[in-house]
Amino acid sequence: MTQANKAEIEQVSTSEIFDGERTLDDASLSQLDSEKFSRYALIGDALRAKSDNAVTIDITSSFAAALADEPCHNVKGIEEVVLQPEQSNVVSISSWKKPFSQIAIAASVALVAVLGVNTMQQTPVVGEDLPVLQSIPVAGGVSPVSFSSEGSALQSAQQGVRELQQQRIGALVLEHQRQSRMAHALHQSKTEKTEENKEPN
Amino acid sequence: MKPFIFLIGLCFALVTQASETLTAKQLLQNMATAVHQRNFDASFVVMKEKGMEPYRWLHAQHQNQELELLSLLNGAGLEIVRVDDKVTYFEPQSAPYSISTDSIAGPIPEVLFKDISILKQDYDFVLGGKGRIAGRPAQLVRLESKDSGKYNYWLWIDTESSLLLKAAYVNQAGELLEQLQLTHISVTTEPAQQLVELLNRDFPEPAVVNENVISEQSQSNWQIDWLPQGFTLLKADRHKLDLNNELADYYLFSDGLVEFSVFVQRPLAGKRPSGALSSGATTVYVHNSGAFDVSVVGKIPPQTAKNIAESVKRAL
Repeated sequence: MTQANKAEIEQVSTSEIFDGERTLDDASLSQLDSEKFSRYALIGDALRAKSDNAVTIDITSSFAAALADEPCHNVKGIEEVVLQPEQSNVVSISSWKKPFSQIAIAASVALVAVLGVNTMQQTPVVGEDLPVLQSIPVAGGVSPVSFSSEGSALQSAQQGVRELQQQRIGALVLEHQRQSRMAHALHQSKTEKTEENKEPN
Repeated sequence: MKPFIFLIGLCFALVTQASETLTAKQLLQNMATAVHQRNFDASFVVMKEKGMEPYRWLHAQHQNQELELLSLLNGAGLEIVRVDDKVTYFEPQSAPYSISTDSIAGPIPEVLFKDISILKQDYDFVLGGKGRIAGRPAQLVRLESKDSGKYNYWLWIDTESSLLLKAAYVNQAGELLEQLQLTHISVTTEPAQQLVELLNRDFPEPAVVNENVISEQSQSNWQIDWLPQGFTLLKADRHKLDLNNELADYYLFSDGLVEFSVFVQRPLAGKRPSGALSSGATTVYVHNSGAFDVSVVGKIPPQTAKNIAESVKRAL
């Protein structure tokens, strides 16, 4: 069978499939010329004015031609081509991130104390003329030492203290809320008592 | 001649207005009566600097019983149910418990639903301007603290139904710190079905409030040298905190409108400077005094909390 012959059979069966004259099964699917099929579909849609005003431009063939003309840089297997960018990605991000992560740790130090109370209350804001509640000492910054393992141990210890303080603040706020629920009853009984005490005098 | 006539007119206007409007105290008393006698279904939000909490508030008078339900609609939630003199709290972290009291301690200070005359010593009742809140005409009533170290409380009251429409904690500079705003209220003749169904349910029995809540021993442990004007000690004991099981010497103070708690605890490891956190009107001041930590929590300004915390000394 010559090449031209094959193309002709494909074209005929494609149009038959498109017109619904041939059932779509594995045998007919193998004979389908997908390029032609999509073009027929586009023509049909245009004729039936189905596409409303939407402009559809089929640029697939021109793209395919352009891609085919592209010189091939990598002659290795497909898997490697896919893997390569992923690997390079990992390296680039970590090397990019490193200096920033130091800043992120320092920034989170200031944030953590605030975030901890967030779970109990909403968005604490510090009073104007009072110092921010900072749970780690201002001196002896965290970032320079965090490169070494000793530094990270120190840091995790500080983190632990901070967590304890957050827990404590959370517990205090909850306890105050609970205790103040009976405050009114207590206040009333107290004022009644003092009034009783006053009356005999 | 013209300014003279104007002046007389102004005087007349002032006199007639004064006789028509109710006093601030009268308005507050009307509100207290209204929230106890009407059947209503209301929604409100509590706004802090950035946070917002939505609530639903139902109240009814049914067969000579008062029924009330307050629920927090966001997060894990909180439900407070009142059947006459029994208030039950349903919270996510703990088993429900009841307190025998006749008003719910929610975002609105309880005293406003009760006898406000106890506030006379520490607050001035001032009539403010009129406005429109939640689509209704409202009258502003201000509770101005006589002590500058405390917050003021402003209320906007519905001129028709006498119900509360808006309330806010205001600092001495006149800034609103925490607001409570009704978004919807409907007053009905019949009680809400949801409330009537409460009568068929069982609630835990209220814990007996110990009459002698201030034990001599716990009171003598620490000496709190400075208090803002008008605050009295309601409770003093030593107990473990629920959340982290830490032991604390505990003191509860109130001036009738707001409360604050003083906790004295063992210091945490590490050198930590003292400081304040605040959310809306609530302040947490943590003071590290070396041998012990003092924390003050309450709806008081940070500076006041700081002064209280720093005045705590070991009793001799």
